[in-house]
Amino acid sequence: MKRFLLSVLLGWAIAAHAAMAQDGGPLRIEITEGVIEPMPFAVPDFVPDSPAAGEMAAQIARVIAADLSGTGLFREIPAQAHIGRVSDFSAPVKFADWKAINAQALITGAVSMSGNRVAVRFRVWDVFSGAELGNGLQFAGSADGWRRMAHKVADAVYSRITGEGGYFDSRVVFVSESGPKNDRKKRLAIMDYDGANVQYLTDSASIVLAPRFSPTGDRVLYTSFETGFPRIYVLDVGSVRRRVLETREGTMSFAPRFAPDGQTVVFSLEQGGNTDIYSMDIGSGNMTRLTSAPSIETAPSLSPDGRQIVFESDRSGTPQLYVMPVGGGSATRISFGQGRYGTPVWSPRGDLIAFTKQNKGRFHIGVMRTDGSEERLLTASFLDEGPTWAPNGRVIMFTRESKGAQGRSTLYSVDITGRNLRPVRTPGGASDPSWSPLQD
Amino acid sequence: MKSLRTLVLACSVVAVAGCSNSYLDDTNTVDFGGTGAGAASGLPSDPTSPAYFKASIGDRILFEVDQSTLNDGARAVLAGQADWLTSNPDYTAVIEGHADEQGTREYNLALGARRANAVREYLVSRGVAASRLKTVSYGKERPLEICSAESCYAKNRRAVTVLAGGLTG
Amino acid sequence: MQTGTKISALAHGLLLGWAFLGGVFQSDPLPYEVQDVSVISAEEFALMTGQSRTPEVREAPAEPEPPAAVETPDVTAEPDPPPARSEPEVAPEPVPEPILEIPPEPVPPEPESAALVPETPRRPQRPSERIAPEPVAPPPPEARPDPVEREEVAPEAQNDSTREAQEATAPEEAATEIVTEAEESAELAPTRSPRPAARPARRPPAPEAPAAPSTEDAVAAALAEALGETRETAPTPTRPAAPSGPPLNAGEKEALRVAVSSCWNVGSLSSEALATTVVVAVSLSPDGKPQTETIRLMSSSGGGDGAAKQAFEAARRAIIRCGAKGFDLPVEKYDHWRDIEMTFNPERMRIK
Repeated sequence: MKRFLLSVLLGWAIAAHAAMAQDGGPLRIEITEGVIEPMPFAVPDFVPDSPAAGEMAAQIARVIAADLSGTGLFREIPAQAHIGRVSDFSAPVKFADWKAINAQALITGAVSMSGNRVAVRFRVWDVFSGAELGNGLQFAGSADGWRRMAHKVADAVYSRITGEGGYFDSRVVFVSESGPKNDRKKRLAIMDYDGANVQYLTDSASIVLAPRFSPTGDRVLYTSFETGFPRIYVLDVGSVRRRVLETREGTMSFAPRFAPDGQTVVFSLEQGGNTDIYSMDIGSGNMTRLTSAPSIETAPSLSPDGRQIVFESDRSGTPQLYVMPVGGGSATRISFGQGRYGTPVWSPRGDLIAFTKQNKGRFHIGVMRTDGSEERLLTASFLDEGPTWAPNGRVIMFTRESKGAQGRSTLYSVDITGRNLRPVRTPGGASDPSWSPLQD
Repeated sequence: MKSLRTLVLACSVVAVAGCSNSYLDDTNTVDFGGTGAGAASGLPSDPTSPAYFKASIGDRILFEVDQSTLNDGARAVLAGQADWLTSNPDYTAVIEGHADEQGTREYNLALGARRANAVREYLVSRGVAASRLKTVSYGKERPLEICSAESCYAKNRRAVTVLAGGLTG
Repeated sequence: MQTGTKISALAHGLLLGWAFLGGVFQSDPLPYEVQDVSVISAEEFALMTGQSRTPEVREAPAEPEPPAAVETPDVTAEPDPPPARSEPEVAPEPVPEPILEIPPEPVPPEPESAALVPETPRRPQRPSERIAPEPVAPPPPEARPDPVEREEVAPEAQNDSTREAQEATAPEEAATEIVTEAEESAELAPTRSPRPAARPARRPPAPEAPAAPSTEDAVAAALAEALGETRETAPTPTRPAAPSGPPLNAGEKEALRVAVSSCWNVGSLSSEALATTVVVAVSLSPDGKPQTETIRLMSSSGGGDGAAKQAFEAARRAIIRCGAKGFDLPVEKYDHWRDIEMTFNPERMRIK
């Protein structure tokens, strides 16, 4: 109906414009249909200032290309199709060479090395208009940080073209898995968002679950069975030191998440079989009970403004999503579809909530507005769960577990449009990803 | 850094040793595998042995999907457990709650805790001292059966009473 | 102050300056020297790189400490190959490329899927990564995708050196919607999630009015200015005393609309830019080719300046790319189509 009205209005507008055009004004047309396809771009090897920098100059271009292509919004035109060469970063770009291969964006750059120091300069061009998008920029650092510099360049390119922030210079903390399903070894690991630079943060002696980054990415909350009982730990990513979050003797605590202030933790605490949501000031250890119902209340996640908490509760009989004020109090149910809803996560933009949904024997990752409207399911499989948002709120990473005795967990990412579903490379099995903010 | 590594290494060694050691004679040893396979010591013919507890009385009960209520069969098994615990006061027990893989990690942890607690409350109601019973939930982390079908799920939705302490001689 | 601190402060200043003011200088047609470049000192970057591993360094960010502090704590029981981090001299050996190679389609152990909830009954579609108004059959294998079809020009078959060798091109294969694996096995994915019938009406119905034309003409003008459209150099459209022919008929206008549509790619726009309607003016030469320097943003509505900029850039690419060979317009009506204002309204291209 809305669309019909709109087209009537448009038709009227076009007619009116046409009438005006006859009076000698410019011709007016309205374009309402376009194409949705990845934007073709070219990123020729960056220009090295010395033979020593050659390898790195090529590698940096490869990482940038992989970052951009990985979004599904861009498509790289491979080097073998290039007609033009960029051998001098400062020389004028021969746009005709790039138009000829239909590259719409071109990224040129140069790499200079002296000792262990590397400087990366780059420019982004709109090939068909010949305009530069943004200005030239340089990143400098030590040679072993070259991947981060490449990610930073890709972030800049991404945001100059799409108009939203990037997410490439970020990390993911997750649970690395090995062994059979009934004796699975789990250990905490951290890596670059693209799977590079994996490091382990714990050994696999005890079960560890669901790590969650702090808002600045310097600490990680997770649940471990180290003592035989699930308890929450805070781990400093830099020093790999950890300490237990003291809650209450004889209780289980799990499902922790940081508040945006990085000081408060919300989590689930089980006592006498009943699980409720609590918050704790991480410095003082003061605890506040936020829910008190005989039902299960778990998986709390705060809104980025720190005012509300979305969580999972089975008070209605099946697990559903609810929103309550950060200090506790009356909760509003927001999930009304068929099936069971769990692990809600508020997006960093604040506009959407991602969740796990279980319906008719299958699992989905979905998003809905924060009032529960406009629910969209992005994935479907035997078992998808535990969504985490990219720092720009555009991409979701989650765990996908395959069926059966040989079942294995893998990380996947998907665009919030539901497009571009792809596995994230990890060594061995992986679950429970948590995406860091963009690094400084 | 080096000392930390040594420490961690030492911990892993201890943990491995703990796991491979199949006695339950140490109160600090939880049946870590949580598979309910829980090694039982003594002879099954000795009614005071954990082996007898496991084989003749039954150390586990099963639950319906999403449920933590005890059915008649479960109550009968638990009554036997309560009697055994009453007549063997040297033992304590950790009750493990488990869930099948259908459900989110967090929810299943909470659900397992509910199940373990249902067992604990029943045992207490039958006269077992509350101080002898601890509960823990493994959620869906330690399935007993690994197929992805109801036949396996049914066996995984369980609560297992794992004995600790006591005389094993 | 230590030198390091000064350098750091300077670098930060430059970076901040770039971050806040970068856009202001957008319009400068830049020569090819590096300016407005923020130089982050090596120490800074090392600190950034090392920060997550060495919090103690972060306490004193200004100290120009050697990045030797960046050491990889390794608590792994089995030694993992350390990410080449602490070899000062050697350029980091290229990390074995597999890291970047994400297997395009892992063979799924069972039908797996991504499900977009479609609002309309779907037609059977070939899978395609591209969405276009008209489905386009797959191109001949040897042709590169290009919206504009061209004959292949064999290099040796031509003496005319002014013409470049051209590969044959064909329009890129497209479907009218993206068909994910999920949709191929459509029965596995829910087509929509049912809503309860009696849903409490919590929000007042949103006003249905289509985006009102922007009243912020000043903003738009400034934006157009900032976007570097050199209005002065644009040939001032001289109003024809009297149109030399009859106005364009509906078919001719529709052809122009479709031509521009086929190059209007909104696939890489932010959601805000996708909610932004822009009006773009362009002047064409008599051969139907757009004069690139005349393309300018007239007005925008629905999004902020940043979104308008991205939306404009996408519109500009559409006009230039699909007009590269000249739009097919009747030359005798030139006066009617010399100046065109195109409204790019992405309303229907947005995510449902």
